[in-house]
Amino acid sequence: MYEYVLAPDQDVVISSRVRLSRNYEDLPFSPKLTPEYAEEVIERTADAVFKTENGAAFTLLRMSELEEDARSRLVEHHLISYDLLKFVNRSAAMVSSAGTVSVMLNEEDHVRFQGLLPGLQLERSAEMALRLDEALEKSYPFAFDHQWGFLTACPANTGTGMRASVILHLPAIASGGQMGAVMQTIAKLGLTIRGLYGEGTEAQGNLYQLSNQATLGRSEEDVIRALSAATGQIVEHERNMRESAEKKDMLQLQDRLMRSWGELMYARLMSANEFMRRYSDIRYAASMGYLHAPLPGLDALMMDVQPGSLGVRAGKLISPRESEILRAKILREDLQELVAE
Amino acid sequence: MMCEDCGIRPAKFHLMTIINGDRVERNLCPACMARHQKQLPGLDFSNLAGILNSILENKPGGQEQERRDAEYDDLICEQCGMTYGEFQKCGMLGCAACYQAFKTPMTALLQRVHGNTQHAGRVPGGVHSGTSIRMNIDRLKQKLQKAIADEEYEQAAKLRDTIRALNAQLERREQDIKVRPPERLEGEGEEGSEDDV
Repeated sequence: MYEYVLAPDQDVVISSRVRLSRNYEDLPFSPKLTPEYAEEVIERTADAVFKTENGAAFTLLRMSELEEDARSRLVEHHLISYDLLKFVNRSAAMVSSAGTVSVMLNEEDHVRFQGLLPGLQLERSAEMALRLDEALEKSYPFAFDHQWGFLTACPANTGTGMRASVILHLPAIASGGQMGAVMQTIAKLGLTIRGLYGEGTEAQGNLYQLSNQATLGRSEEDVIRALSAATGQIVEHERNMRESAEKKDMLQLQDRLMRSWGELMYARLMSANEFMRRYSDIRYAASMGYLHAPLPGLDALMMDVQPGSLGVRAGKLISPRESEILRAKILREDLQELVAE
Repeated sequence: MMCEDCGIRPAKFHLMTIINGDRVERNLCPACMARHQKQLPGLDFSNLAGILNSILENKPGGQEQERRDAEYDDLICEQCGMTYGEFQKCGMLGCAACYQAFKTPMTALLQRVHGNTQHAGRVPGGVHSGTSIRMNIDRLKQKLQKAIADEEYEQAAKLRDTIRALNAQLERREQDIKVRPPERLEGEGEEGSEDDV
């Protein structure tokens, strides 16, 4: 029996994340951070995190001690940002065993921590991040100003220091040529949307990240509520587009999407680019009920066959061709297991 | 075990759905599982702007004119030694005290970036940002009194509306808190199954 949880709106929303940026008031910020101060940040924070209610669930990972593939794997699973790897010599991460809470140390700010949940669950993700904020500030005070809020290294994050985002799968809006219109509407609302991988309207795998822009002048609740509302509307629009694509020519839609299933089941070489295209198709098919595969399983598999995660799985450095072979093999085996028929 | 939906095919999936925070668990066959994954559209996209404009009253992108801050290049932060010129090159400040040291150009910069220069979120030590809403109301009430004293009635009317909106928000929050079931920080233990997906 394959057990899984279907999160709210998971047919369109892959995950929800809320990230808070904080700095210790008595330590210099990123540009002036010496190795000694960086170490102080790690020790203070690790100590405070371990002391929280769920502290025992966290592992401290120093970036300098990880292999390159292991670092990439963390980025691919959205547990750390790519930017953390710009500071490999001084940076670290703390990841909870469930992967739903993670803390980055010595990225652009001293401490950046996030709540990450599948589907549209921004309120709960925010709750998780804010609880950790309350726990951490008890140990050492964070830089705060009554006019400007939480002070961050870059003024673009000052205020709440909060970046809330959702990852959206929008194959029907994209293939209907409406991505440009959605992007324009979103920009007017003080939110930003961009391809999760790649730039502009051409997003790999039709995956988009929608997030808030301003952090000063609005409360956390207001921002979360606005982002949730915008996401809800995009979700409805995507569902409408999927429905009308089905109404127009269901057989043709099924044929187009299910051909990707065929490719994934029998290919012997699968590049990362081609995979993202095929993944988008089979995820779309699964959300329409054409393919009997659980969405959370497909999403987990998608992250597991990204380049860094593949390397970790192989346990050694592999060539591009070897990774295409391994990706194809994992997909054939794991997808077979995911579908029961 | 048979599928709990159709009762004719064997169950192969154990599906948990989260609806308003509650979990609903079912054992399903592949066909019924796929049907549950599909969700029907309801609302219309065309009213997006209307709904959101009411939530986001003041959008970023202030009127402050973009200007070259060269005249501030020599400002220096006594605590970390960073100059405003240096900050403009790297985009990051050297320490918490830089904000005060560069106060004049920083205020203009924040206005340009955020369309705002007053924090409205949670404050350290506050349990939830209900505290900061109250703080905001207090601050606005002071401004309102000053506006009335200065006979700036247009400004005073705006402030009064903002205070009303904030009070309404506070009331909504308090109601939300009353009806919402208690939640734990992360619930690592009970949510182990999410991790396995």
